[in-house]
Amino acid sequence: MSRKWMVWIVAPVLLTVLTGCPKKKPKTPPQDLNVETKTVPAPPPPATTQDVVQPPPPAPAVADKTEDPLLSQDLQVVNDELRRRGFSPDVYFELDESSLSDDARGRLARNAELLKSQAQFMVTIEGHADERGTNEYNLALGERRANAVRDYLGSLGVAGERMRTISYGEERPVCTQSEESCWSQNRRAHMVITGRANVG
Amino acid sequence: MKSRAIHLAAATLLLSAGLMLPRIFAQEPPEETPQEKPPGSNVTLILDSGKRAPMKLAIPAFRVAGGLAGDAAATAREMEEVVRQDLQNSGYFDIQGPDALRSLTLTGDIQRDLEAYRSAGSQTVLLGDLRAEADKIVFEGRLFDVASGQAILAKRYRGAFPVGRRIAHTFADEVIKFLTGSQGISLSSIAFTSDRSGNKEIYTMDYDGQSQRRVTGHRSTSMSPSWAPDGRGIAYTSFFNGPPGIYLADLASGRKKPLVTSGSLNMTPSFAPDGGHFAFSRSVNGNVEIFTADKEGGNLRRLTNSSAIDTNPSWSPKGGEIAFTSGRAGNPHIYMMDAEGTNQRRLTFDGTYNDGAAWSPSGDLIAYTSRRDGRFQIVITNVVTLASRVLTSGAGENESPTFSPDGRKIVFVSARTGRKQLYVMDLDGGNVRQLTTEGNNDMPDWSRAVPAQ
Repeated sequence: MSRKWMVWIVAPVLLTVLTGCPKKKPKTPPQDLNVETKTVPAPPPPATTQDVVQPPPPAPAVADKTEDPLLSQDLQVVNDELRRRGFSPDVYFELDESSLSDDARGRLARNAELLKSQAQFMVTIEGHADERGTNEYNLALGERRANAVRDYLGSLGVAGERMRTISYGEERPVCTQSEESCWSQNRRAHMVITGRANVG
Repeated sequence: MKSRAIHLAAATLLLSAGLMLPRIFAQEPPEETPQEKPPGSNVTLILDSGKRAPMKLAIPAFRVAGGLAGDAAATAREMEEVVRQDLQNSGYFDIQGPDALRSLTLTGDIQRDLEAYRSAGSQTVLLGDLRAEADKIVFEGRLFDVASGQAILAKRYRGAFPVGRRIAHTFADEVIKFLTGSQGISLSSIAFTSDRSGNKEIYTMDYDGQSQRRVTGHRSTSMSPSWAPDGRGIAYTSFFNGPPGIYLADLASGRKKPLVTSGSLNMTPSFAPDGGHFAFSRSVNGNVEIFTADKEGGNLRRLTNSSAIDTNPSWSPKGGEIAFTSGRAGNPHIYMMDAEGTNQRRLTFDGTYNDGAAWSPSGDLIAYTSRRDGRFQIVITNVVTLASRVLTSGAGENESPTFSPDGRKIVFVSARTGRKQLYVMDLDGGNVRQLTTEGNNDMPDWSRAVPAQ
């Protein structure tokens, strides 16, 4: 049987002994009941409304430290950031063609500037074709498209060892409808940052 | 040496089943005249005049020993169907099956039934007997000449139930060889690609579309299968290790080994008929050119040097030439060169897009994919006269032809039903049958030899 119950008897007794009996309260003059109520002006409404949203999940520790997305270890972040800065991930071709249009050259010129200013990145150039034509010939055509882009970027000063090409022919279409609006999207060279150069 | 290959095949089969049985007839089939013409050489572009009237071959229902049940009964039914179907598919015979023979009064004793067969116009009768021995099926097939009443061929096979189809194919080819002098195709195999698993992988199937098996499991994109001439391996192009490279699948072991994988692009392998080398295409500074390599993928030799695409080589059956596709004239066309790369010359002038040349086994024809009026069709061209003929028509794209080992049929791809499927047709474009149904199926290559099992 616990003796905790004794605390309830002993403690008040001790308390009384130690502190003495309650003294009589000193009589204070009755206060004026008409206390002046000071009206505090209401704070102004907030200038902006704060949207309360679910906090984002914690970012990976590495990315968290960086302020520049181009320093991110996540290459998706790098690619998104380059795109935001004007990098064109795709240039398009005419049917059975691997020569660059004026529009493609313009985009590649901008890409070359970005790539030269960010010399730490390796870029992979994928060559693609639409579904018309044979798979084999389209694989060769994709190879030529990828290399046309590599050669042009090289002529604009992007170092060759930073670029890698691969042809997917018609094997990896972005659009699968059998119509020109779709085919024209598939006749492309796609540029994507796939790594960092091992340079300081 | 007559029909040596097929005897070897049959012997292999029997050995694999665990025993060798003697022929049940002492009488050897009469010595055949050696075949002067290679298979398919009688198939010219004037196809109709080359056709003989098919032999009337009676095949009454096989006799199945009483008491056969379950697996044995199912195997027996399947084997009877396969024998009849193989002989029908061969195109050499006018088959008189049980339905056609229903009006005859047959006793099962061939000597007493000869008159009935004669009245039906039958020239040859095929009798089949099936029975089970423990867990094996035993098949006896016999041919009788109706005019003389003589037994002219008899074979007995024994094997586990799962090899029933193979026994039936073996016997069907034996019959074809015996009656026509030509090698049958019942044991041949077709390699192709299929995306049925979610990725484009290499598959094989029997010539009749049965026994479809997956060869690769790279879970990437694998394509352009090409049989090694001995039927033991399949070379193919795959992306599974990054840039497209050429690999060899060994069918017996299942092992895959790299043949040529350096550089950014190696593709479209095609073996020389002796199997010692293969031709392929490879990127050189961004342009695709034709090369050859030895069978291990070494000793690369460059054969073409144009500023346009050169790809899709196909080594001729006699070994001296290589057909290929080149864009050097502005559009893809079929070209020919000597196997050393010399004497490059253009072969096709019709249409605006010709690719994917496949040789007939006799080397007088090539079949290829040709864009005609905006759609891909299968065309055959005589490589000497350059006379050509369009074999397909109508809606849907038709692509990637490959000749049967006897040169009498072509398997090709068609999207006529919406998805790409493999079909087989005769050389006049008739008798079209669909072989695949699951997923998209593409890039067929028909074996030459009987593939290793």
